[in-house]
Amino acid sequence: MGFLALNNITKAFGKLDALSDVSLDVKEGEVLGIVGPNGSGKSTLINVLTGYYRPTKGSIHFRGKKVSGRRPDQIAAMGIARTFQSNVLFAGASVLESVMVASYLQYKTNSWQAFFETRAYKDEHETIVGRVLDLLKMLDLFNETFLPAEGLSHGYQRMLGIAIALAANPKVLLLDEPTTGMNHQEAMFVVENIKKISEQGVTVVLIEHNMKVLLNLATKVVVLNFGNKIAEGKPEEVMNQKDVIDAYLGTETI
Amino acid sequence: MMLLYIDWKKTVPRIVAAVPIILVALVPFYTTNMVTLSMFILSGIWAIAAMGFALILRTGQFSMGQAGFMAIGGYTSAILTVKLGWSFWIGFLAAGIVSGIVAFAVGAVVLRVGGAYFSIITLSLGEIVRIVAQQMEGLTNGARGLLPQAPNPIDLGFVEINFDASAVPYFYLMMLLVAVTAVVFGQIGRSRLGGTFYSLAANQILAEHQGIYLMKYRVMAFTVAGVFTGFAGAFYAHFMSVITPYMLGLAQSIQIMIMSIVGGVSSLVAGPIIGAVLLYDLGEYLSKLQVPGLQALVVGGAVVLVLVLLPKGTGLVDLWEKFWRKVYHEDEYYYDD
Repeated sequence: MGFLALNNITKAFGKLDALSDVSLDVKEGEVLGIVGPNGSGKSTLINVLTGYYRPTKGSIHFRGKKVSGRRPDQIAAMGIARTFQSNVLFAGASVLESVMVASYLQYKTNSWQAFFETRAYKDEHETIVGRVLDLLKMLDLFNETFLPAEGLSHGYQRMLGIAIALAANPKVLLLDEPTTGMNHQEAMFVVENIKKISEQGVTVVLIEHNMKVLLNLATKVVVLNFGNKIAEGKPEEVMNQKDVIDAYLGTETI
Repeated sequence: MMLLYIDWKKTVPRIVAAVPIILVALVPFYTTNMVTLSMFILSGIWAIAAMGFALILRTGQFSMGQAGFMAIGGYTSAILTVKLGWSFWIGFLAAGIVSGIVAFAVGAVVLRVGGAYFSIITLSLGEIVRIVAQQMEGLTNGARGLLPQAPNPIDLGFVEINFDASAVPYFYLMMLLVAVTAVVFGQIGRSRLGGTFYSLAANQILAEHQGIYLMKYRVMAFTVAGVFTGFAGAFYAHFMSVITPYMLGLAQSIQIMIMSIVGGVSSLVAGPIIGAVLLYDLGEYLSKLQVPGLQALVVGGAVVLVLVLLPKGTGLVDLWEKFWRKVYHEDEYYYDD
């Protein structure tokens, strides 16, 4: 049993198989890139992994425990956090408030202790505020700490999405296109941070279209096409395989 | 050398909140007129119900049957005191507990759906309570209702607290109940729980993916609101010394909603209290003028005005916030529109 293992996952929407029979092994500490043309099932894969969808067939195991069939909050509690393809934020909250609310899983005190503000809760709260501020510093959001999250520019909102996911203190971080809509400089800043996160021992699964980002980061790449896994291996090798190029550019028919 | 430093930014809002509370607390020293005091007492009862509604709304759910929980509380206490002859205090406690249990049981099933479905099911819950109260004649006397008595006089030695003689004991009991509710709800709002409740309304999917179990916190808010609304209902029944199926129906549920929203649900305590006091007293004043339809017209107009002029879930309480920020020259660094 591997670290994070997907066994023959099928996710069907009506008669369409968004994922068909996908098996995947994610090793601890690696940065796994998932690529594929639009509609190939990349986001569905993350949605199935985090419990947003239930797989139609197959099972997912994380550190020997079954993940598939559980609720999103249970899966998050097991240590799997995600970001979203679009900028998903808490409406009306500031950057600090968003990340504090998102730090829910770091609190070990129960609701009664939180309500009565016991010593243990206060100490814990202080530590977590410190951690959140460190996180904001790392992701260059520190100057935006008290600004409303919805008013941030797109790039900052992407970073906030990563900060929110990291606030859950995950063992596996699933990033759904973290660099969409960013210029090269911003994308490279994200790359630097994903490297830092990876160095801290977090396993990263990364959906990405930007080849520069992928080649920079990924230790392994999986290619999906129409819900099928068509290739797997080192990024440089996979990108030169014929069926991968065909999937992206179409086949020659003369 | 000691410098006397007063943080006006914090002190002034505290004074603004404390002055009306102290003034209201002193009302029985000016007048013990039953009509005046009962205005305050009834606004307090509605204020508690409105706070309960605001707490549920904090989790993003719109309960349309809060008067049903008042009825459950009222009937529980009335049945225990009238039919079984138990003391008011036990009936009062039981009212909160029974109402809380019903809220928990209903919430655990109904809150799975949430949204509009939840609103409709709570609306029917309120109606079910009314119909059950009407039909179970053996227990509730049907449409004639029950006549719960005032609490027995308490002899403290130097002074006797007699609930039958004047409304003053009720008045202070009501203030105590509102204060306890306000402290509990305020603490919920301030603490981590408030943030968690809010996150469910702000973005349910994101909250779930951060490890927050939706049902746990939805049911928690619904149950806490149910307990305190039940207390308010028991108080209402004993103060009015009657409870019938028609006293607490859909109209009252809507009244609770409107009070809460007009006052402003951005605050769990101040907004609903302001809304309840203003709208209840406005309604009472207008009904005294004896012009048919005037009350509904003016209250409806006031609601529309608030909704148009103060959109985005803000109410009267946010006006103060805005004003105070302007006075204090705190930069508004961000405008949404």
